[in-house]
Amino acid sequence: MSPGQIEVEGQRIELEQGETVLQGLERAGLDVASGCRAGTCTKCLLQAQDAPPPASQRGLRPTLTAQNFFLACQARPTGLLRLRGSRGPEPVRARVASIDHLTEDVARLRLTPDERFDYRPGQYLDVLHPGGESRSYSIASLPSDGWLELHVRRIPGGQVSGWLHELAVDAELAVRGPFGQCFHVADDDQRKLLLVGAGTGLAPLVGIARDALEQGHRGPIDLVHGGLEPNRLYLRDDLDRLARESPQLRVHHCVLRGATAREHEGPLDQVAIRLAGALAGARAFLCGDGEIVHLLRRSLFLAGLPSGEILADPFLPSKPALA
Amino acid sequence: MSLYERLGGEPAFQSAVDEFYRRMLTDERVSRFFDDVDMEGQIAKQKAFLTYVTGGPAEYTGKDMRAAHAELNERGLSDEHVDVVIEHLGAVLLSMGAAPDDVGEVAALAESVRADVLGR
Repeated sequence: MSPGQIEVEGQRIELEQGETVLQGLERAGLDVASGCRAGTCTKCLLQAQDAPPPASQRGLRPTLTAQNFFLACQARPTGLLRLRGSRGPEPVRARVASIDHLTEDVARLRLTPDERFDYRPGQYLDVLHPGGESRSYSIASLPSDGWLELHVRRIPGGQVSGWLHELAVDAELAVRGPFGQCFHVADDDQRKLLLVGAGTGLAPLVGIARDALEQGHRGPIDLVHGGLEPNRLYLRDDLDRLARESPQLRVHHCVLRGATAREHEGPLDQVAIRLAGALAGARAFLCGDGEIVHLLRRSLFLAGLPSGEILADPFLPSKPALA
Repeated sequence: MSLYERLGGEPAFQSAVDEFYRRMLTDERVSRFFDDVDMEGQIAKQKAFLTYVTGGPAEYTGKDMRAAHAELNERGLSDEHVDVVIEHLGAVLLSMGAAPDDVGEVAALAESVRADVLGR
């Protein structure tokens, strides 16, 4: 087989016989991170615009594979492989299509972008505050909805969340994205999917569940939404309706205290493990703040879920909590 | 053929490293060292370690190993903890079908890392 070519930032590099993408980039004088050069350490992870050679994606998690990430040290393309540049996405203008206050501190914003905005439901975007700050929010909608749905919890004293809560319909703002590795990959339509989130960690899970259903997923989907008390759980009726329309989807509401007949009570990780049943062959999506995601990841892993099947984008605070 | 290849290479080690890490998280003698650790990153590092000690494609530098364990040394990491790691390493390899002789060789290689891990 004749060696291929790579294209990076407008530059075309002809590979030599037997040469990997990593070697080709280095020969062209480009600075590429690398480590083991044997497909193990993943330091030379790059993203292509086209599908990379399968051998260069071995051992990567499914969401990386779906986004054409590959290991440069293992890639010997035969055709042209165009690499993604290192620059991130440009900001896009969007308008507020609707804003609904769902609980005392959670609002649902639907934004209509002015330009094309490609994403996978469950990924996140950055909202850019006019003052220069930005905050990340997960996307709860599907591209076919025509709007970008965000669930915004008002943080006491929060500059960006407070501003978003006060926006009126038709207000303009800028967003940038998408980012993140927490989305549905339709590689096995019989697989059990376990979606667990706390608070506004529900947003990506709604997107992932609807995306899986729309893509014809047939295996069981368990969505577990956790909150402190019953009145903190939002979108319950919408979720219950979605579950009624989709026999493979089960929705569970979970609280730490004050459960009624409609909620499970207990620590979210323990409730989720109990409800999920056997975890062999399952895939989990975990969303919420850093601490709860850390706990869920560890508990589900110890309960038998393979580490490579745990997908999570923890919400991180915008700055370290004050001591 | 390296032990790494004989035991099934990358796919086999993907699940073996999960088993290895589960053992570490649930062993009270060492679990406290993993409480606040980013699990995803840690599993990637341990996979590289398992690959290295079984003769697979992974690089190893004593400098990396020293830097990675410097903070744990301050928290009391000592010989007995390294013994626990080598113990679990052997058990996982046996469960993957390694012969006792192979396990002995791997343990000897892991021994050579001890000084770096303990910052000696």
